[in-house]
Amino acid sequence: MNNVLLSNEIIVFLFTQIILLSLLTISFFYSLSIIKNWDYSKTTQEQYKLEKRSYLVILIISFTMIIKIFLMPYFAYSIDILSHIVPGAMCAAGVIGANEYGQPLLTFKVVLLFFIGIWMILNTLDLKEKTYPYTKKKFYFFILIFLLVIIETIVDILYLTNISTQEPVLCCSVIFGASSTGSQIPFNLDIPMLLVLFYLLYFLSIFVNIQKNPYLNIIVNILFIYIAYYTVTYFFGTYVYELPTHQCPFCMLQHEYFYIGYFIWGSLFLGVFFAFAYAVLKLLINKSLDYTLKYSLIFNTLFVLICSFYTLKYYFVNGVFL
Amino acid sequence: MIKVNNLNKVFNQNTKKEFKALKDINIEIQSSTCVILKGVSGSGKSTLLSILGALSKPSSGDIIINNDSIAKLPDLHSSAFRAKNLGFIFQSYNLFNELNVEENISIPLVPLGFSQKEINQKVQTALTLANIEHKKDETVSNLSGGEKQRTAIARALVNNPDIILCDEPTANLDNANSLKFIEVMRKLKELNKTIIIATHDPIFDKLDFVDDTINIKDGEIT
Amino acid sequence: MKTSTFLNFLFLLIYKHKSKHIAISLISILIVFLISSVLFISSSIQKEVFNTLDAQSDFVVQRINSGKIINTPNSWIEDFSDINGVENTQQRVYGQYFFEPSQKYFTIVGIDLFEESTNKNVKKLLQILNIEDFLEKDSMIIGNGVKEVLKEFHYFDDYSFKLHNRELKKISIFKALPKDANILANDLIIMDISLAKEILNINEDESTDIVLNIPNELEHSNIKIELILKHLDIRVIQKEDIKKAYENLYNYKGGLFLILFIIVMITFVLILFQRYTMISSSDKKEIGILRAVGWSIKDVIKLKIFETFIIAFISFLIGIILAYIFVFFLDAPILSNIFLGFHNLENSVSFSPNINFSTISTLFLFFIIPFISAVLIPTWKIAVIEPSESMK
Repeated sequence: MNNVLLSNEIIVFLFTQIILLSLLTISFFYSLSIIKNWDYSKTTQEQYKLEKRSYLVILIISFTMIIKIFLMPYFAYSIDILSHIVPGAMCAAGVIGANEYGQPLLTFKVVLLFFIGIWMILNTLDLKEKTYPYTKKKFYFFILIFLLVIIETIVDILYLTNISTQEPVLCCSVIFGASSTGSQIPFNLDIPMLLVLFYLLYFLSIFVNIQKNPYLNIIVNILFIYIAYYTVTYFFGTYVYELPTHQCPFCMLQHEYFYIGYFIWGSLFLGVFFAFAYAVLKLLINKSLDYTLKYSLIFNTLFVLICSFYTLKYYFVNGVFL
Repeated sequence: MIKVNNLNKVFNQNTKKEFKALKDINIEIQSSTCVILKGVSGSGKSTLLSILGALSKPSSGDIIINNDSIAKLPDLHSSAFRAKNLGFIFQSYNLFNELNVEENISIPLVPLGFSQKEINQKVQTALTLANIEHKKDETVSNLSGGEKQRTAIARALVNNPDIILCDEPTANLDNANSLKFIEVMRKLKELNKTIIIATHDPIFDKLDFVDDTINIKDGEIT
Repeated sequence: MKTSTFLNFLFLLIYKHKSKHIAISLISILIVFLISSVLFISSSIQKEVFNTLDAQSDFVVQRINSGKIINTPNSWIEDFSDINGVENTQQRVYGQYFFEPSQKYFTIVGIDLFEESTNKNVKKLLQILNIEDFLEKDSMIIGNGVKEVLKEFHYFDDYSFKLHNRELKKISIFKALPKDANILANDLIIMDISLAKEILNINEDESTDIVLNIPNELEHSNIKIELILKHLDIRVIQKEDIKKAYENLYNYKGGLFLILFIIVMITFVLILFQRYTMISSSDKKEIGILRAVGWSIKDVIKLKIFETFIIAFISFLIGIILAYIFVFFLDAPILSNIFLGFHNLENSVSFSPNINFSTISTLFLFFIIPFISAVLIPTWKIAVIEPSESMK
């Protein structure tokens, strides 16, 4: 346990997380007073003071967002370094599986980034209006984000302090692939069915996009990202690595593969994020933002294109599929 | 057109040091007119001017400029309004002493999204209008009082605002420079700008281009 | 706002107000310098150690009796080579020799000059060695630390080792190792294997321990069991374990330092916070002017934050460059001893550059984030002051 905590990268990572949490705590207390007393129509000194405080909260959240975006790849990189001292692990995938907190933590971090992103969009909309109409909703939303950040930091610490440097962990080839007993793909689907589902959901997401129904958008995109994760790991990834047994979602982030992993996961996250943003904003403040739907379409399509490209490239170069 | 409705400003409200700076002010100022706000120090004219200029917020009441209510505008919008529509000239010039004349004049334009070329053009126009072109590369700390005032004027004009607000502009000037200042104001009046000058300098009495004089005493219009 | 005009204005302001930022810059540079030097030194040593380790054999087998290591019989070499999957079983001879005059220990390593060694470093050494000259008479190759100590006591060309049976064995100094081997070879003496055995009082048919290679990684645990089955009184040390132990050691030492630095950073953050809260009245007036001419609170905050970021970034660059020169060109006097230890022989080391993007980004995050965090609140505080207040 000590050894994990004392690796330079982890210390810096935790230090940064704690700084962010402290800043957000200050924002939290300011938000409470804003939620309680905000009334745009009043012209008292109090109201003006609240307005000024809201700028501080906005500043802190923007700063947090930027830093957390950088912390994601940095976290992945620090975990990767830890694979040297965790027995059995050969890359980040193994270290993530070292205890039961790893996978949920990763998912949680992505979800948190989604929420912060939506908050930023809500904030921009709010400030554009002369009466700052969405302020109270915005700050309620922030309270939610603050709670999520607390949970994230706690799970960070739980995860990092429970990585054992004595017990061996499973490496990716066991977790994901060739030597596992039975498929890890949900619903026991086989690869062709998975692919069918993948493309089906993609076209469904386009349809729902044009439809503009917020609930459908959320459901379809959740399903899409869920299936897409497995499809990339078990199918498209193997074409990136050009090895049928290398079924790992992390290795494509490395420089051997020209960091394509960032583009693949990045475009997927952005596509799903914008669909989410559209839905949440429509439900929260009843505003229909067309540009989010447009971006969602663009990024989801980009994602599907990159994945299919690798498969097709392999086929054209080699004449067969893996 | 500028309309002031039931404007009140109270400092340190609900404390022992409570002070009513403005009491129920109602004014109407037509566009393209020149108005003098006359009153002694402490009468509230500077407070009124800063509220008119969206630099501070009233305790109650409203200000409507060209059908836009500006008293309660949140900061992002009030500063955008200020940048587009208002030009301010202060008593103590309020310039950046380490920068030169040209750089000082360009400051209001920086957050507005202009390219450097556009900014240079506008700065050039303002320099000519305020008659300070010959000193454009001079550092402000080396300028005389009158030259600083003209730099401040150029800065107020650089974005071609409709309304010019002046707070005791001649208080730190000698007679010759005060007259020069008046000439510039005349020129601006000819350009159809609305000019509001808060002053108690008698040199502004009986000027031909002044359309109206509003007297303020103890926060009230008399 | 347009980025280019904004940046123009920003750099103009920073340039005109240079003196305002000097104090903070100097402290920042010092902090970055110290922490980068520590990181550079430790990663350089790490690389050196790992390179050497990599060159070693996979397994080391030692004979244990009542908890102590005793010499292994050479007959065991055949026993072990019989095991399937084991290659290159060899004997190793090494030990400590107590140098009476300066009360220090030398490490003597015996090398069989005619057998192909599996150790890559030894191979490298043998390539540049003229074996015939070396074997003409009893010779040794010594590390720099040994050379200095022997010189001190006027042993320039040879030294007579005291053997166990009170005899003396004179051995001539063939050559000294180059200075950049100092991290690991400072107190080393290399000689022919039989000579070494004589001096260290090891029988001809024995050795200090036995090393062997196992090319197939998956076989390691199986073969370990088979080794123990052959001779029960042994201990097997795996290269992976040594690597891990070293990595943990470096993490430990490095981690402790980093924690110390966190304390330094917290103090620095407090200083920054204090400094940026107490802004001078002329600063306040400038912000007031900006607000009065139409800059929004957002614009003012943006200006101030970027200003701070640039100061921090430039200080960071200067600190790193200075640290680089200090560690890799000047060989980090004083600081290096913290890592290498003072106890045995004095070591004058030269570090080889081993920095990568990850070290730099760790340093960057560690420094910049607390810096900016410290100034967020003070910046906001001065940006929201009413313009009329600040211009009085």
